[in-house]
This record gives sequence, structure tokens and C-alpha cells, in this order.
Amino acid sequence: MPRSYDFPGGIHPPERKQRSNRSPLSEAPLPPRVTLPLQQHSGQAAAPCVSAGEAVKVGSLIAKREGMISSHLHASISGTVSEVSATQITIEGDGQDTWQRLPSLDWRVADTAVLVERLNESGIVGLGGAGFPTHIKARVVEQHAIHTLVINAAECEPYITADDLTLRLYANEVLQGAQIIAKLCGAQQIVIGIEDNKPDAITALQHALPDSQPVPVELSVISTRYPSGGERQLIKKLLDLNVPSGGLPADVGVLCHNPGTLLAILQAVRDGQPLVSRIVTLTGESINQPGNRWVRLGTSIRELLEQVGLNIAELHQVIQGGPMMGTPLPTLDTPVTKLTNCLIAATREEFPPAPAESPCIRCGECESVCPVALLPQQLHWYARAEDDAKIERYHLFDCIECGACSYVCPSHIPLVVDYREAKSRIRLQRIEATKAEHAKHRFEHRQARLAREEAEKQARRQARQAQQRRPSNTASPSSEQVDLRGLRIAHAAAKASVKKAEKTLARIAQEDPKQPLDDLEMQLATAQENLKAAELQLAQAREQHSSEKSP
Amino acid sequence: MSMMHASDVNDTATTAVPPTASLMRWVIVATLPGIATMSYFFGLGVISNVLLAAAFGVALESAVLRLRMRPIGVALNDSSALLTGVLLGASLPPASPWWLIGVGMFAAIVVAKQLYGGLGHNPFNPAMVGYALLLVSFPAYMTLWAPPQELLHNGLWAQIAGTLPTAQLDSWSGATPLDAFKHKGDTLLASEFWATNPLPDGTLSAWRWVALAWLAGGVLLLAKRIISWHIPVAMLGSALLLATLFYLSDPSHFASPLFHLLTGATLFGAFFIATDPVSAATSRRGKLIYGAGIGALVIIIRTFGGYPDAVAFAVLLMNLCVPLLDIYSVPRPTGQPKAASGKPGERP
Repeated sequence: MPRSYDFPGGIHPPERKQRSNRSPLSEAPLPPRVTLPLQQHSGQAAAPCVSAGEAVKVGSLIAKREGMISSHLHASISGTVSEVSATQITIEGDGQDTWQRLPSLDWRVADTAVLVERLNESGIVGLGGAGFPTHIKARVVEQHAIHTLVINAAECEPYITADDLTLRLYANEVLQGAQIIAKLCGAQQIVIGIEDNKPDAITALQHALPDSQPVPVELSVISTRYPSGGERQLIKKLLDLNVPSGGLPADVGVLCHNPGTLLAILQAVRDGQPLVSRIVTLTGESINQPGNRWVRLGTSIRELLEQVGLNIAELHQVIQGGPMMGTPLPTLDTPVTKLTNCLIAATREEFPPAPAESPCIRCGECESVCPVALLPQQLHWYARAEDDAKIERYHLFDCIECGACSYVCPSHIPLVVDYREAKSRIRLQRIEATKAEHAKHRFEHRQARLAREEAEKQARRQARQAQQRRPSNTASPSSEQVDLRGLRIAHAAAKASVKKAEKTLARIAQEDPKQPLDDLEMQLATAQENLKAAELQLAQAREQHSSEKSP
Repeated sequence: MSMMHASDVNDTATTAVPPTASLMRWVIVATLPGIATMSYFFGLGVISNVLLAAAFGVALESAVLRLRMRPIGVALNDSSALLTGVLLGASLPPASPWWLIGVGMFAAIVVAKQLYGGLGHNPFNPAMVGYALLLVSFPAYMTLWAPPQELLHNGLWAQIAGTLPTAQLDSWSGATPLDAFKHKGDTLLASEFWATNPLPDGTLSAWRWVALAWLAGGVLLLAKRIISWHIPVAMLGSALLLATLFYLSDPSHFASPLFHLLTGATLFGAFFIATDPVSAATSRRGKLIYGAGIGALVIIIRTFGGYPDAVAFAVLLMNLCVPLLDIYSVPRPTGQPKAASGKPGERP
């Protein structure tokens, strides 16, 4: 079906996908040792719950999520934990590959809460690159009515073919995973957005479509253009909806998921298999056998690339992610994480260093390719001048950092680098400004904790008194009037403020995964302490109330 | 950050905009048909003008960069000073002496460009600053347009050196068609004026051929995506529209739109002068307004002002408006709410 809606701008960089999409998907050999960083997702790092020397199986929980926006971490090989540091856990493999799975669930009959809890237990995060915890995304739905689930299979970055291969081989599973999410968020339709440069994946989806139920699925093939895989761009293109500035797709009733994530969701629900491996595209001119591999999390990137024939003499740099938005790795001795969707081992000829920058002549090429309709040339001017008031009025924070402007700039100005620097500088200023606020929140948290402890003490004392009273069988001497109604209101208010704090935290974290969240987590903790205290007081008052009535 | 850059990529079918330095060189290449045609009709003085101005441009740019303690090689490599020289040289009358060109290039490179911070920072079009300065300071020299082929080859050196006696120059020089029409007098009807054969033979057709040669260069620039269509289309569109309105209101006293288009610097200005990105409005909407403003001013000044041709003044006047245009022509980013009208502070 031809679509008339479109996002502005966009570019056509060379695809270079043939290098990795021609060989079949295979399983990488079991690594002898894995290193699992505690931070493999947006939000707070997970907290280790194993110690050195402990034996683990594949799928054993080794670190628990910490705070609200966080995710569990599981052992990806069986063996012995050899080291637990502040940032990572290392496991020496025993070569046995013994698994520990959760019980299988039938998503058609299972309760929503059970399914969400399963996503939480399985440590699933968005595998497209941002790594937002999936169970939180499922819960953001509590605040919004979702009508459409979009499967973001556009995969518009050059080189990457992980989603392409996922769909070719697991189209049924991906669609089932989509049905699970559609059930969780109550979506009435599922739309698959896929670029027309993946004919095999499109065929596989067409074959799988008739089996997909109960939510109707529509396959929408869009023309190939970068960055059509950007959430906002895809939603505009598929549904003609504009996600508001600073908002989320949920604000227009849409949820986006990447095919890899949906596959992981199904595996977690159907097979009880936590997220311990993922599909990684291994490509670039410096390797002999490019392709896609199932890779255990924590596998060393150096070992992985050597297995596919890395030519170290030719290697210039390894890029994690795509060439447009990815980052060059400073070292190869770093592990594959939940966020590693692609590794490009590039030669120097493949990505020649950009020629020397020359002054901006305001030619406007960047403007014509910007998918958000910004004026990159003006932003560049104000970013270099550090004119923060101007830069925000020219909507710097609407920039999705796709790099299209840098790609076309005839003066070779690294525009996106400027914008990132400006963004982080402005954010830093905001943080400075909110530091005082944070101190206030810390104080409030302490007060709330003390109040909660006091309430607990009170509850214990009362319980003791009640126990003493019962044998003697004397009537309660308490004549003080219990304000049950007031306490009930306070309890409801505390509950609401916890909800609100959770909502704010989820929103901020999803908008910008790199943002520090401790202040918001602190506010949430405060609200939770208040809620606990209110609950205790209410329970106490109720008991008192009933004991007054009963004799 | 983006590891790929359009100018490095050679395995894609889409055409990329060439890097800034070769962008400037492409503009120079596109001026060649115009310069060749001009020198065919008006003599080799045109070529000597261009070469002299380009040499002055490079020399002045290096001198100022040296004074400013900036790297000279990088800046010269971008060819922008060379381009300014070519554009100013091509605008000057063929008999211009060397010092006239030098003064013009000094105003262009030193005052209009480097004193404001060099490439990318000049608020005014450098070549037009030089041209306007010469036009108001040396009006006699600036109207010395020789009739076609009159400036003999053996007079070339004297012309370059500025040793041609002015009296001799006066006897050679002829009015440009725009100039002649402008000064035809109110009592004369256009048809009567043309019947008097006011210009030497071939002048009108020479100017038309030159205009068409500039158009050819402009088409090359558009085809190579060196310039966007917004400014030329808006400028020519508004100029033609206004000229047509005047012409229809009184065909016997106002020049026809075609006359405006094919004589003087209209086409040269539309493709080579107004499209200077540095001093033009930056957004696409801004470029449309900017171009339309230049087109309208050209016709208004030609018709009612003191100068027969007005491209330089129109461009400079619209350069003045660019900061304002840049503020009020910002597109609304995707996802931003529509600004409530009249609400201050909503616009950047």
C-alpha cells in the first residue's frame, strides 16, 4: 500500500549490507570465559548477588536490578564465578553448558502481571541499541492508552543486518512476541515497518502473517532511506502521527519494539530462557567471514572477531553499532553486551578519516537532510559560540543525533559532535542548578525514612501491647480518637505520589537513556518510604479501631 | 558520530555535494561560458580583468591571513578569494585599469571579508561590496562599456596598466542597453526610442548572448547541486513578475520583462551573486524571501532609482535583511507544537 505521509530530509548512504546478509545465521562457539558488565541497559547498574567461587548455570541470576530503571543480569555460560568487581562479573566456563530455565508460560492464558514479571525476571531490554528495560516499557503503558504496536524492522543504518536475519529465520517467533506485547499494552493493531531492501525478510513475514493472531498485523514496506528506523520518523511514515517534542511514542498511543527484542520476549515467556545471548552482525572489510552470529553476552569482542577471520594488519578501527550513530571501540578487550547489535571491523579505506574541517558557508545541505526539520547550520553557529539560550530556542534538544547533517556537510564539520557537546554542557548546567534541589530531596528522604522507622517502632510496640493485653483480657484503655479517615487519605496520597514518581522516572529514562537518574530515584524512594509509613500507620489505626470496637 | 562522509563514499549512486573547496572551483568553472562570451563580444579586457582581480584576491587574502596569523594554505585552498576575484572581474567594464580592480578587490577581500572574520563570517557579498564601492566612487570608469569589439588588442596592455588616455576611452565607450533606455527621456516613447537605433550595431544581441551564457553556467551549477533552486527561481520570478506588471501598466515607458531579463546582470546576479550562501538567508523559506526581495529591488531601482543596473545594490540591501529573515523563517521542527500567533518568545 503506498503511503503518502513522510518525514522530511533523509539521506541514502551506501548500504553495504550484502557483506553480512548472505551467509546463514550461525552460533558462535561457546566462550571459555565471559565478562558481564553490570551496566548493560539504561538506568542504574545492576547489583551483584553472587560472590567469587560460586557455581552458576546458564540463566542463573548473578545481578539484580537496582532502582526502578534497571535490569537483571544472568550468567551466559555455566561455570564458576571468578571475579566480582564494582563494574563487572567474570565467569570461567566449565564447557558443559548446563541450563537453568524458568517454567514455561502460555502467554495466551497467563495473567498480564505474570508476563510483565517474567520480562523483569528475564532481564530483557530493548536490543535495538538503547537498552531500555522492557518490563518498564510495558508498564509505561499503564499511563497511556496504546492503540498500535510498531515493529521497527526498518534497520536503516548501513552494514547492520541483525534484524534482517532475525526476521528471515524467526518471523513466526517475532510475531508471537509482538502478540505478547500487544496483549500487555492492549494494542488493537500491529504494524511492521520494514525497508524495501530486505526482500527475504519481507517474504518470511508474509508467510508468517496468516498464523499471527489474535491482534491483526499489517506489513508495511517502506522505501529505503536513512533514518527511517528512527522511532519518530517511522511512526510519522507508517501512521502519520507526530510524536510531540520531548514526548514519547506512547503520547500518541504507539509503542515501538525491535524484532530482536520481540524474539527475546517470546523466548523468555515460552522457553523460560533469560536474555543470555543475542544476534550480532559481524562485518567490515577486515574480516573474512562476515555474517550474523548468536553470541553469548560477555564474549570478548577480540575472540569473537578472531573466530571470523580478523585481519589485524588491515584493521583500522572497530565500530560498535552502525557507521552513522555507532561509536569506535577504544579497545577490543571488551565484551559483547545486550546493546551490541553490530561490530564493524573496518579498514582505513572503508572509513577514511574526514578531511580537515573548513568554515561553514551556510550552504544549507544539512537543513535539507535533517529528518526533524531543524536548522543544523544555525545550531552549529550557536553551539560553537556557546550561546545556550539561542541554541535551545533553535530546538537543539529535538535533534535525534542521526548524523545525516555531518554526512552531507561539504565543509566536513562534525556537526553531531558539536550538538552532543552542547547538549551535555547544557545538561550539566541544569544538573548544577538542580543540585540544591537534590540536597533537599535527600533531606526529605531522610525525614521519610525516620518517619517510617518511627511508624515501625510504633507498630511493634502496639503488637507487643496487644499480646500482653490478650492474656489478661482487659479492655483497651486507649481512648484517643483515631483519625482513620485522615490516615486513609494520607495513604492514598502517598500511593499516588509513588505512582507519579515512577511515571516521571520512566518517562525521563526512556526519553534520554544517558541521563543520570539518581535524583529521580531518590524522589521515588522518598515517596515509597512515605507510603510504607502511611501503610503502617493506617494498619495500626485500623487494628486499634477494631480492638476498640470488639470488646 | 558519523563515520561516513558523503564526499568519501564512492559506492553509492546518489550524487553528493562536493566539498567546499571544490564547490568554489565548480562555481569558477561555471563562470567560464559567461566570461568567454563576454570577451568574445567586448574584447580581451574582460579576461585581463578577471585574471587581475583573481590575482589581487589571492594576494590580498594571503596578506591579511598573515597579518591575522592564520594558516594561509588552508584558506587559499578553499578558492573563495579566487572566486570573489573572478566574480568582481567579470562585473567590471572591459577597459578598467589595474588600480580600479585593486581598489575593488581591497574592499571585497580585506574590508568585506577578512575584517569580518574570513570565509563564512562576512555579512555582505564581498564581490558586490567591491563593485558598489567602485560604482559610487569612480562612476566615470564604471560606465566605460566599450561597444562590441571596439577595444583593440594592441590597446590591451595600456588598458591593464591604466595608461589609456581617458579621452580615448570616452570615444570608445558606449552605453549599455539598460543605461540607454534609462536615459531616453520621458517624452520619448519606447517604440520611438528603439526606432532611433540608439545603440551601436550588435550591442543588444551581444548582451543577450552574454546573459544566455551566464544562464548556461547557472544551469550547470543547479545540475551539479552546487546551488539550490530557491534563490535564482525566487529572484527571477519576482523580477519578471514586477517587470511584467510595470510593462502591462504602460508598455511605452517601461521596459519589457524580457529586456530586463536579458540585458544587464539579471541572470549573472541570479545564479552567481545572490546565491552566495554565506551572505544569503540560510533556511529554505528564508532563501525564497531573500531571492524575491532581490528580484523586486532590481526592477524597482532600475525603473525608479538612479542606477541603470541594480543587482549589486539589491543584493547588498537584502544582505542587510538576512539577520531578520533568519529569525523569522525558521521552520517548525517535527513534533514541535504550532506557535501561537503573536506570542512573543515562541520564535527563536
